[in-house]
Amino acid sequence: MATVITRPRKNILLDRGTSRAKWFTRINAESASSSTRIRDAVAHASRDTLWLSFERNLTRSVLRATDWPSPPLGCVVLLHRPDIETLPALSSCFHKVIFSLDNGFLPPAQLGEVLSAPNRENLFIGGSVNRQDGTVTLWRGNLASLTVPLSAFKPAGDGTKPDFTRFSIRDYGHTVRFGEYEAAADAILYEFDPRYRRVQSKARIASERSFGASLRRLRKQRGLRREDFGPLSAKTIGRIEQSKVTHVRDNTRRMIAKTLGVSADEIETY
Amino acid sequence: MARELSLPTQLKRARWKVKIQDKETREPPHVSILIRGTDKWRLNLRTGQMMDTIPDPSEVPDELLQILRTATNWRWDIDAWDEMYPDNPVATDED
Repeated sequence: MATVITRPRKNILLDRGTSRAKWFTRINAESASSSTRIRDAVAHASRDTLWLSFERNLTRSVLRATDWPSPPLGCVVLLHRPDIETLPALSSCFHKVIFSLDNGFLPPAQLGEVLSAPNRENLFIGGSVNRQDGTVTLWRGNLASLTVPLSAFKPAGDGTKPDFTRFSIRDYGHTVRFGEYEAAADAILYEFDPRYRRVQSKARIASERSFGASLRRLRKQRGLRREDFGPLSAKTIGRIEQSKVTHVRDNTRRMIAKTLGVSADEIETY
Repeated sequence: MARELSLPTQLKRARWKVKIQDKETREPPHVSILIRGTDKWRLNLRTGQMMDTIPDPSEVPDELLQILRTATNWRWDIDAWDEMYPDNPVATDED
């Protein structure tokens, strides 16, 4: 079950360089690279603090600056390759440790923008492929995770196959790439996040209130084909669903309703 | 392989992209319109209508939509989709 984290109150950037800090001004990240600054950041951290670390030495400095048993320090995103031996200690002071074994995070300029975006929960910031067990774990902009089977990425009709050894996130979190193969974030979320699907369906229902749209939804729900509405032709059903028929006769409505197993008045409630 | 429609220089400079991606089998045929940043819209290749109301579709420049809807580009999009998704072609009544 994914944990959703609301916008953190305090953000710390662990980076000795100065060039990347500008990308994180949108989330008001404070830079810390000296041991004094890191000690201070640890002392003032809370469960809501987000740490972004570009350097493993600075990640280790946080552990050295921590008094054990550690108070909750928040959530950390390791933008460097993680040291396996530090993960247990990091897991005991951060309630979430986000890392990638594939160097699979967005570039800093895009990462800062996604972390501050209103729709960040629908964008990916990074991920990690587990080829042995056949999964990819994707990190969303709200720091929730989503694990998806690699079998979900079927070859495209033109023969393009996903290359799971070449994983990256592109287009400000809208695209998951496996080599030349691209999957849209919204398609992945639609398939694997029931909450996302519910929100999308609600929005679609709100925007499509025609008789045709209701008929199509109900027909799909009943597992029927357009051909199943005889004596009405599939073409007629198609034209009604696409709202190409301006007035649907009562008799036609009744025939449709009978096939769907509902009353004629009920169709538009779907 | 994802297909990206070639756009005029000024739209490219403004960081717009139009793509058909490789894993869109659950959706009606569409192109994705991306602006560098976090916004994205989908344009239905069957109806020619925008599929998303959020973000506001009026943010997509008319110039881009006109370019997309020219006969040549529309044909390019349909052909690209049909090649990538032969089981869900644009021309079918089913969506």
